[in-house]
Amino acid sequence: MSGFNQISSLNEVEFAPLHHYGPVTALKIYKNYVLAGYGPILKIYQMTQGDLLDVAEVFCKQVFSRNKIHHIEITSQGRLCLSGARSFMVLDLEEVLQGKGNFKERAINEWIVTCAFYENWLLILNSHNVVYKVDLASFEFDKVHCQEKSILYSGSIQVLDNGTVYVAAGTVMSGVIIWDLHSRKIVHNLTDHEGSIFGVKVDKTGKYIVSCSDDRSIKLYDFASGTVLATGWGHGSRIWTLEFFKGDNVKIMSTGEDCSLRLWQYQEGNSQLVQLEMVENCHSGKHIWSGDVDDLEYQVCVTGGADGRIKLHDLNKVNRTEYSLQEISSQTGLVFGKKDFIRDYFELKDRLIVLISNGDLVEYSDNSFKTIAFNDQHKLKDFAIVKGFSDINIVIIAARNGDLLIADFTSDLPQLSWIQDEYLGSNKLTNLLVYSTDNKYYVLVDVPNPNIPFILREFDSSFNLVNVTQLSQPNQTSFTTTDMVVDSVNNWLVIASRYVTIAAYDLSTTSMALFKKLSPGDTITSVQIITSKTNELALLILVKDGSYLYTTLTLSTTFHLDVTHANKLTKGFIEGGYIKSNKLVLYGFKSSYFYIWNETCQFEIMNELCGGSHRQWKLAPSKFIYVKDKTTLVIRNIAHRFVNDGLIHLGTHGREIRDVAVSPDGKLLVSASEDATIAVSQLEDGVKGIWSMNNHISGLQRVKFLNSEYMASSAANEEFIIWKVTQSNIPLVKEFVRLKPSAVENPDLRIMNFASIELESNVFILVTVYSNSNIKIWRIDLNKEHYGDMVKLLVNDFYTTCCILNVELLQKDDKTWLMIGATDGYVTIWDVTSKLDPEEHKLGASIIHQQLHQNGVKAMEVFTHQDGYRLITGGDDNALVVCDLQVPDLKLDIVGYEESAASATITSISVVGEHKFVTTSVDQIVRIWEYNEGLTCLSARYTTIADTGCSASMGSTIYIGGAGLSSWKVNNL
Amino acid sequence: MGKSSKDKRDLYYRRAKEEGWRARSAFKLLQLNQEFNLFDGITRVVDLCAAPGSWSQVLSRELQGKNAKIVAVDLQPMTPIDGVTTIQADITHPNTLQTILDIFAGEQADFVCSDGAPDVTGLHDLDEYIQAQLILSALQLTTCLLKPGGTFVAKIFRGRDIDLLYSQLSYLFERVICAKPRASRGTSLEAFIVCLGYKPRPGWNPKLDLQTSTEEFFEGADIGKAGNLEHFELPDDEERKIAKFVACGDINDVDSDATYTLELNRLALEPVQMPTAPPYKKALEMKRRGDLIRR
Ligand SMILES: C[S@@+](CC[C@H](N)C(=O)[O-])C[C@H]1O[C@@H](n2cnc3c(N)ncnc32)[C@H](O)[C@@H]1O
Repeated sequence: MSGFNQISSLNEVEFAPLHHYGPVTALKIYKNYVLAGYGPILKIYQMTQGDLLDVAEVFCKQVFSRNKIHHIEITSQGRLCLSGARSFMVLDLEEVLQGKGNFKERAINEWIVTCAFYENWLLILNSHNVVYKVDLASFEFDKVHCQEKSILYSGSIQVLDNGTVYVAAGTVMSGVIIWDLHSRKIVHNLTDHEGSIFGVKVDKTGKYIVSCSDDRSIKLYDFASGTVLATGWGHGSRIWTLEFFKGDNVKIMSTGEDCSLRLWQYQEGNSQLVQLEMVENCHSGKHIWSGDVDDLEYQVCVTGGADGRIKLHDLNKVNRTEYSLQEISSQTGLVFGKKDFIRDYFELKDRLIVLISNGDLVEYSDNSFKTIAFNDQHKLKDFAIVKGFSDINIVIIAARNGDLLIADFTSDLPQLSWIQDEYLGSNKLTNLLVYSTDNKYYVLVDVPNPNIPFILREFDSSFNLVNVTQLSQPNQTSFTTTDMVVDSVNNWLVIASRYVTIAAYDLSTTSMALFKKLSPGDTITSVQIITSKTNELALLILVKDGSYLYTTLTLSTTFHLDVTHANKLTKGFIEGGYIKSNKLVLYGFKSSYFYIWNETCQFEIMNELCGGSHRQWKLAPSKFIYVKDKTTLVIRNIAHRFVNDGLIHLGTHGREIRDVAVSPDGKLLVSASEDATIAVSQLEDGVKGIWSMNNHISGLQRVKFLNSEYMASSAANEEFIIWKVTQSNIPLVKEFVRLKPSAVENPDLRIMNFASIELESNVFILVTVYSNSNIKIWRIDLNKEHYGDMVKLLVNDFYTTCCILNVELLQKDDKTWLMIGATDGYVTIWDVTSKLDPEEHKLGASIIHQQLHQNGVKAMEVFTHQDGYRLITGGDDNALVVCDLQVPDLKLDIVGYEESAASATITSISVVGEHKFVTTSVDQIVRIWEYNEGLTCLSARYTTIADTGCSASMGSTIYIGGAGLSSWKVNNL
Repeated sequence: MGKSSKDKRDLYYRRAKEEGWRARSAFKLLQLNQEFNLFDGITRVVDLCAAPGSWSQVLSRELQGKNAKIVAVDLQPMTPIDGVTTIQADITHPNTLQTILDIFAGEQADFVCSDGAPDVTGLHDLDEYIQAQLILSALQLTTCLLKPGGTFVAKIFRGRDIDLLYSQLSYLFERVICAKPRASRGTSLEAFIVCLGYKPRPGWNPKLDLQTSTEEFFEGADIGKAGNLEHFELPDDEERKIAKFVACGDINDVDSDATYTLELNRLALEPVQMPTAPPYKKALEMKRRGDLIRR
């Protein structure tokens, strides 16, 4: 064995950590503060109640050198203990907030399960079920145990008001042990669970015990007898946290691996814990590791996930009111028939206008209904559409024959008047679209007969008719209007239809252009203006099947539409959406649920079990209104209690990050994760997630930029996608082309890596390498339109049968070389100069085939050096090898070798300076190396990112991915 | 061990089934033996964390006719194997180690191995800690039972702080090697420490006491493990060493990271060992019946 490892910590100051995102391992609500253990970092947030509850970071500091904070304990006086792994630290919250904290990290020699304060002692429970009773003045201690020293997965300590101290210990093998600290006697040995116990707590009155285990159930016990009172089933996988409510000790919160937060209640006599609430889709990926609840002051819970996100949740009961037709009848005195139902409605600022199927109109305000006096019920009897403009208190009701009833609610007494149709003849109106912009109010009438023009009426803000325009319908039988916008800058009208088709009209000339099948999918449910400037309109197009598109409409002699961004939700159907402070919010249905989803930050804002989309429903700013069983009106308030809908900290992927890349301009970071998404983030004061692209369905391998406009990603199932990136105020990304897989489908066949060189603008030689030893070289011309012209396979050959891990393409003086590194430890080079014409070739004999590592060549970097190249490889065998390659024959000389360059697999290499590069390895040490005559390690520093697997550099900044993401600056380059 | 379609495509998995091994892990031990001749001259062995039992099968075959003693221990029940004494118990519990010592009744063992792995939670530091506990428990038994010069092999996960373990082991063995058999997937952190030539610590008499934890057990061994410091001061970084790495198995052996094209229905593959019921079996049943509360 070589000597001591000198390169686990060395000149750490050479690295300056910048930003970090990773698992949130502990959370605590204390008074108006939320304390978070963000790995080794302590973050403190302050809650401030204004119109909305705001939560702002007031403190952030890495307090443990290596260990993560797994537990936070705080007394009512603000005495604070942080603990995790072997470390602990005692602090005073006041002092910390005043910047006077004494952050002294201490340690025991075993894993700490939990800590608690008791009088002047700190109690530390270790993983062998032993409590260290530590004198807080002298830090002298006693060890206390109950004779039963099994290994613990979980545990807690409860100090009761009467001074009794109970230790609750969760063992690896189905047992919950409750013992008394003073008597050292076991009070209960509860064996009702199966599998490891992941959580156990005693409530503060000593009346109940709650526990959870690998069996996915929660059990509540009567403390006195040790019998199970009730069991809660519901979590789809393991449960990680359990908390009793602070005020109401028969309520419990739980979070788990299934990324759900659940609230439970025990009802006497019921052997099942009743699930009061379940919140899903609040974190990405897997695992909510931490959480806390405050049912006394702020009525909130807070959760923290593997995704590094911290999220607040509202404990207040959902406010929902229901009115049956019968109830409406008895309040208004109107009489409805047996078959009558609620036809449609429209929400104004202070009232809701409801149309009944018999033609009656009622008004709902201040929790009661009243009739709207009106005589033309018969005109609205069999068909009617209700729309309006809430800002000017106008409701519009369209009748079958095209007549429009205008109801003005500006004054207390509604003014009703009809606009008689003059255009439709005997045709029947099928749709009514409305839109307002710039104090202009537009109403469009649609009939199915394509020979009848659309009638566009323009009104002013007093709702006087200003203008009527007739627009010939697109010459297409299936053009069914679904939504419209009017762009006041250019005086353009855009109408959306089924088959992902839109029609654009120049209202000045009434000339029209039709854009068909903008994406797969069927109906466009919504179209919206993102920005508008002269001759350029950015439109958001939402498609029912879950796709959403950012497009740009321009007009020269004819209209032109360019799709700049396309993505598809995996969670359900889209009915609508909006962009609010640069965040895209989408809503729609998923099976029987209505949901509102923040797509930019990837969490659900609300949901409502309403039975699905086959009913009348409308979304107003703070209400979701729908009709149940055709005759019951349900008004579900959407309480916006929190700033940012409760998002305290954004975070990143919820699963391991496999690869990262920085755009050539340094503005974007893209990351590929085990969750099969590609995240596109802006590098601006940290890493700010913008998009989470769902096009891949298989496990990702690599992501790289091809040039400043295109990037590519590879995955299992032979998925390979080239993306087009458009930089605007936010980056836009769309799948541009995907390589067709081989004829025989094999879901395990992974495209392990790829490399490219740009021959001329957007024309590339691309090489892809596979887990079955396949090597393919392609010529990709992205200027071409059709796949056949764009993609040409030049070489299709096999290396051996082993998995290829790395690939590079080198080009110099009219020569092109291909270099691979594989699981057999070899680096192999071919001269492929003569293989680049569009004809399928074999690789032929290699010019270099040399073993550099014992097994997998895990990391490989090549850069030009003097007249030739320098190659650096890192292996699964912990070794680092530096080679020089001489042109013209690319002879390979090993010039540097370090057998033990890490204590475990080297996973990535990023070049940061002329002679310097950074390596990452799964031992969680990041190292700077210099090769200058010899190979020297300049600096080594621990990273809290576990499963450290990839890195990318931009100038002196390096981004490190694994179970989380962090960025560091390399000093002294 | 279930049988997913991924398993079916795995060549080691298929070979294991064809050759009658209960798990593909058998090849890891065989490849380790190829490199280190582990089985030369051994007769008394302990196989810790042995279920479903492919290592025990390998050992039973290799030691056939040598009047061997093989003791296999696991949390999970194991189908009996000829010439192997099986115990169902937790190896981190001191009682278990005592039971094994009792079986050996004062005799020493030539070889101790452990292929143990906990159910990972996904919290890397906790998983690494539990894995370290498994290794320390196995090492505890080893120091009480292994003859001087004997061999200890254990599964490790090469994560943070693995160099601490290498350093501690280097006090107890002539050679400590980190070996990666080709049957172990390159994408996994799994590897094996092969510790050759046990050399008892001079002046330390390892004694199993049911009341001491693994950490306390090693306190007197002086192997560079940090104990508790006065006032719980944060210890200086402990001794770390990087063990020599050896990839083993023939380079032309099947690559466990590669994708092979196979005729999938060539063989009807039935698991040799029935999978044991997971603790969450009831939850799965309830889910199937629609009894799990969704909202
Ligand atoms: C990878 S399997 C071993 C496979 C085995 N070597 C073979 O070839 O069949 C890991 C085993 O470790 C066992 N294990 C994990 N923790 C244990 C513990 N504390 N005590 C005993 N066995 C344990 C598991 O039950 C599991 O069967």
